[in-house]
Amino acid sequence: MTNKKIRVLITKPGIDGHWRGGIVVARALRDAGMELIFGGFQNIDQIVESAIHEDVDVIGMSIHSGAHMAYTRQLFERLKEKGVENDFLVILGGVIPVNDFPRLKGLGVANIFGPGTITKDIVDFITNNIES
Amino acid sequence: MYDKDFLERIKKEKEVWEKKHKDIKERNQKFETDSGILVKNLYTPLDVKGDYLKKVNFPGDPPYTRGPYSSMYRGRVWTKRLFSGHGTPEETNERWKFLYEHGETGFSAAVDALTFNGIDPSNKDGAPEVGTSGVPLYCIDSLFALTKDIPIDKISVALVVEPFTSAPVCSMYFNMAKMKGYDLKNLMGTTQNDILTMTVGYIPYKNVPPDHSLRLACDFIEWTVPMKNVPKWHPINFTGYNYREGGIDAVQELGFVFSSACSHIDNIIERGWKIDDFVNRFAFHLSAHKDFFEEIAKYRAARRIWAALIKDQYNAKDPKSLQFKFHVQTAGSSLTAQLPEVNIARTAIQALEATLGGCQSLHTNSYDEAICLPSKKAALVALRTQQIIEDEARITNTVDPLAGSYYIEWLTDEIEDRVWKYIDKIKNIGSIDKALSSGWLYKEMRDAFQKRQKRMERGEEIILGVNKYPMDYDPNCGIFRTNEEAMGIEIQRIKKLKEKRDNKKLESIFDELRNVCEKQENVMPIIMKATKEGATVGEICDIYREIWGIWEPPLAI
Repeated sequence: MTNKKIRVLITKPGIDGHWRGGIVVARALRDAGMELIFGGFQNIDQIVESAIHEDVDVIGMSIHSGAHMAYTRQLFERLKEKGVENDFLVILGGVIPVNDFPRLKGLGVANIFGPGTITKDIVDFITNNIES
Repeated sequence: MYDKDFLERIKKEKEVWEKKHKDIKERNQKFETDSGILVKNLYTPLDVKGDYLKKVNFPGDPPYTRGPYSSMYRGRVWTKRLFSGHGTPEETNERWKFLYEHGETGFSAAVDALTFNGIDPSNKDGAPEVGTSGVPLYCIDSLFALTKDIPIDKISVALVVEPFTSAPVCSMYFNMAKMKGYDLKNLMGTTQNDILTMTVGYIPYKNVPPDHSLRLACDFIEWTVPMKNVPKWHPINFTGYNYREGGIDAVQELGFVFSSACSHIDNIIERGWKIDDFVNRFAFHLSAHKDFFEEIAKYRAARRIWAALIKDQYNAKDPKSLQFKFHVQTAGSSLTAQLPEVNIARTAIQALEATLGGCQSLHTNSYDEAICLPSKKAALVALRTQQIIEDEARITNTVDPLAGSYYIEWLTDEIEDRVWKYIDKIKNIGSIDKALSSGWLYKEMRDAFQKRQKRMERGEEIILGVNKYPMDYDPNCGIFRTNEEAMGIEIQRIKKLKEKRDNKKLESIFDELRNVCEKQENVMPIIMKATKEGATVGEICDIYREIWGIWEPPLAI
């Protein structure tokens, strides 16, 4: 594990085009030495397909549309269908209210990074959770 | 601005003053504005250059530095226009009426991501986002529901849609108004119709390439204003606000806006119109960001630049063509999810910038902006913030009250110089569609937001509650939730519409639209026919996609 670079998919589920957050995070993870796959707009099927084909360790979904519950639910349903729900560290970023964090974590999300996040915290979280 | 002897005396006395205080240490090595302009410790008459009558002059007189109108807020205060939309058209109508009863004087429709991208709710990719980030306006029935019991002949409505969907959505609005018996010749309102919002401000989902977007924007301008179908409409609102939110600075904001405006003017002049036939209906939408004085100087500089640009480069003769009129939105990206109530203070300060800078229309953000769409209470607080400035603080008593401040006048000059240089830089890249397709604008945006992120993380740009006195999110703060039934409601609305409309007639209208798109003629006349017959926004945009193809923006990561 320690010799292999951590591979991360940063993706935007749906059609909402608020792009700044996803790209800032993608760049920060790449600068921290991770291998980065930027999915852009993807539907849930495409996200799961990319994650499997690209053999990533982390799926990061950037959501500013308010539809974070719906997309996260769909993601875990699809991962379960494929039998890979334990293969990825799933993290979210965007305008997601703290009130929804418990429900999202209940679905299987490892962490949620809301407005004002320092990118180093995301890098540290991924590094600590993939290496351990 | 001052006579020579007077300036000599000031210069001498200033040297004495500086000597006397030279040992006093300052907190920082340097002080600068948000856009990186170095700020001196003190400004005096020595910093104010040029002839008052040529550079500043009286309000309502060129170069309009002090305002486009002579009386400004003594005659009429700015339009209090909150950007608003959620759930369904019916729910948005309720919110609009609530704000109207409490003193709102203009409406602005925030549409959802499907309307923005020309997607019908039957499309699974976007379905979960029906009504989550704005109001769904997919067909003409929705426009009737949105404006029910609202006197749209007396109050102006801004439709915040971009070139890709401005023709279908606005034609629905115009058809609705006509069916209600209003004369389009008197209809007031604005269409955002801004190519940069939907490309660099926000990434488009399956939109057409920029050259087609630019043409669509100009089709709409041409059909409404010079062709006089809706002559009082503002057919475009160059929305610096949206890309400013992406991280660029005040100078770049104006540079993007004016360069884009020139590309549109060039296109419409190529169609055979004269500058004075249309440019006086152009509107602008700027940000009120964090640097108080810089933003005020920016508005004053913008008025002066526009007057010079339109007079000197396009030989406009009508004084109205030279008047820069603008809407302001306070900076959503300056707000925090931590202790959201603090956002009320931030927004109030930014609203002061806008009004001291002479805006014609203003949106104030709700304090819950960093968490969710505005709750009713948060929207009302935002409206009241504007009303405090109007009714209680008396800042409207006189025109351009900060004029003559040595610092403000100096900063206005400084910003003006920098913007002209930036406009020249963009001019060398080419027209705005080329600056987009070449990826140049994306790189400017990326560099800006990476730089801002680093400044924030190093603590150079302070955000209270985030990088200074950091605190956690409050799990007990109230959340406004959009209607979870919206998707089902909108799918049903379109299903019903398709049952009652003449589908055969529409098929032939769609063929005509294909033909118009292929020949690259003005799309408005045929789209007016299509939406009157019940065509949806998604159906029309699918024809654009079919004929012109889908564009993948050259994102720079």
